[in-house]
Amino acid sequence: MKTSNKEERMKDDKETVEKIEKAEKEWQEKVLAPRVKRFNLPESPTRFYSPLAVKHHDFLEKVNYPGRYPYTAGNNPFDFWRAYAHDAAKSGYRPDWGGAGGVGKYGGFGTAEDYRDYLFRMQSMGRKGGPNMAFDLVTQCGYDSDSPQAEGEVGRVGVAIDSFRDFQVIYEAYTGELDIDKVPSNFTINAPAAIIIAMYAMLAEKRGIPLEKLRGTPQNDILKEFVARGTYIYPPGPSMRLFRDSCVFCTEHLPKLNITSMGGYHIREAGASRTQDLAFSMAIAAAYLQAGLDAGLNIDTFAPMFTFNAFGGSMEIYHEIAFQRAARRMYARMVKERFGAKNPRSMLIRQPITAHIGCSSTTLQRPLNNLTRAVVGGLAAGMSGAIPGAFPPFDEPLGLGHSLEAVQLQLDASRIMIYEARVADVNDPWAGSYFMESLTDETEAAAQEELERIEKRGGAIAAIENGYMQRAVAKSAYEKQQRIENREDFVVGVNVFTGEDEIEVNVNRVVEATYDPALMKTAEERQKAKLDRMKRERDSRAVSAALAALGEHARDESVNLMPDICECVKAEATLQEMCDVLRDVFGEAEPAII
Amino acid sequence: MDKERKIRVLVAKPGLDGHERGARVVAYGLRDAGFEVVYTGLRQTPDQIANAAVQEDVDVVGLSILSGAHLSLTQKVMDRLGQAGAEDIIVLVGGIIPEEDIPELKKLGVAAVFTAGITIAEIAEVIQSKVTET
Repeated sequence: MKTSNKEERMKDDKETVEKIEKAEKEWQEKVLAPRVKRFNLPESPTRFYSPLAVKHHDFLEKVNYPGRYPYTAGNNPFDFWRAYAHDAAKSGYRPDWGGAGGVGKYGGFGTAEDYRDYLFRMQSMGRKGGPNMAFDLVTQCGYDSDSPQAEGEVGRVGVAIDSFRDFQVIYEAYTGELDIDKVPSNFTINAPAAIIIAMYAMLAEKRGIPLEKLRGTPQNDILKEFVARGTYIYPPGPSMRLFRDSCVFCTEHLPKLNITSMGGYHIREAGASRTQDLAFSMAIAAAYLQAGLDAGLNIDTFAPMFTFNAFGGSMEIYHEIAFQRAARRMYARMVKERFGAKNPRSMLIRQPITAHIGCSSTTLQRPLNNLTRAVVGGLAAGMSGAIPGAFPPFDEPLGLGHSLEAVQLQLDASRIMIYEARVADVNDPWAGSYFMESLTDETEAAAQEELERIEKRGGAIAAIENGYMQRAVAKSAYEKQQRIENREDFVVGVNVFTGEDEIEVNVNRVVEATYDPALMKTAEERQKAKLDRMKRERDSRAVSAALAALGEHARDESVNLMPDICECVKAEATLQEMCDVLRDVFGEAEPAII
Repeated sequence: MDKERKIRVLVAKPGLDGHERGARVVAYGLRDAGFEVVYTGLRQTPDQIANAAVQEDVDVVGLSILSGAHLSLTQKVMDRLGQAGAEDIIVLVGGIIPEEDIPELKKLGVAAVFTAGITIAEIAEVIQSKVTET
């Protein structure tokens, strides 16, 4: 084997590059240009990437092995699901049922009793995953079921929680073998996340379960609410105070509970561009990381408990694969270089999925096409470090509740990609592709530029307070709509291929009656009656005392409010009573003018 | 009808639903299509919407609802508009509206319901024709 010295190698490289440049020029003149001319086009509709696109690519610096910084190729050589994929196939394992100590399907509705009974029903069908809890908008926005804002909304998009009493009722479905020291919980809650975390901790206390055993994930990502999802209560500053308090409390007392579930998924679904998704996600993560540091925590004690919910997606799967690679690299570099982390676990993007099409890519028209779209997304997922999930089920845009057919097709599509196409047998299969490495670099560079623009303006919090992020997202959303209406972007079955000769392919859907409409009708009155009774039964002096302490300490920024919130929770203060005390001190957020 | 007066539209988000993409895109689009548009922002009560509709002297109120609470919220808005003497305002509803609820909304007096896949051009056309009818 010939070993050449460095100078010779560099000379070889230079010569090689020159040769390729010459070949490219010749190709452009003799092959490409004539073909473009022959079809009377202004330019070629396709592109090709040669080694020239990645001239100074350093594999170890830019990619490295899976599980090695900067994690471009993935967090590890294989995930838990892949370790046991063949055994799982033979045993008919259903991961969507929350097997292996996970959580079940995202859900929730009605009163706590309704949701508890639903969870019991799921368990009787073998679905023993922990609660993956959706809350109604009333709860998410810090109101009680009897407040004027609650009318018509109680128990609709999730379960209604007015107090600790409701929370405990839900967990009547999790005792014994399924008690909360054995089974995790997910809470899709943001503005009152501190209160829900307190309820979880106080439930453990009541059951004599050590807090260190609690696992799960509260979403607790308030900043994206201002940009995309809209369930905020207080202005960004005080909201960050509550984040800080929950972060410190979890780090000190609930070391196995994830602290937050971040990521630009909602921001992209709200219309953001890919670059905005990545940049805003990094900026928001930076704000939360900084909050932990400012509170005096060591980065490596809390950053490992930060997770990501998901980023956004689109049908352009090459770009979404590049996005995931760029995101992993960008986050790792930021946490290491900017925040000084030493623990590799601090630098990982821990997320349940990777690339996907985004629910907003699905169409109401010709819904079975959404299965095709989801399979495209599943390929992208499998090629970007996650299970090839065909997400979402095809009837996602038709309303709440996926049909049995849609779920079966979704599961089988994933299984076909895993076991027949074997998409997930290779880590980061695009590593080293001239195209993909160049696209990853571009994706990262564009997001980095935007991130620096935001940091110059004072970071994510400032960019939200002055409406910059909100305006940017609204503008991107409008531009996308214009592109669709002008037929610059094509959506099959919606703005193209909609003629008379097209067939509406339909399927008879059987939607599982998990959410009984009769229960939904009476949820609000039943909830109000319960609330009324609770207020009469509780010790109102204890409640007032607890609320007064909360209010007093809220005025002192240096005080961690979690102990006071825990006391309020135990005294059965209602969610709104607690939130109103804080409204008095923090004020309410004003929507951005855009 | 005053030909020079632009048609005035109020785009509103009733209830607690925090998803604004559709409402904002429709507001911008209708503005570009030549209407005068006011967007209320999030968390409007039926009272606030009716008051804004009257104060802004609009011809059309568009409700954007994705939370499933469309029937009760629309009912309340229609009631308040009636109480304010503004029954002649055209009410449109958009968002996530199951097909089976569309006849119900029409019965409440809603002039048109827009679901996913509609274009701004189509909404503008419907508004033009409904306003000219009255």
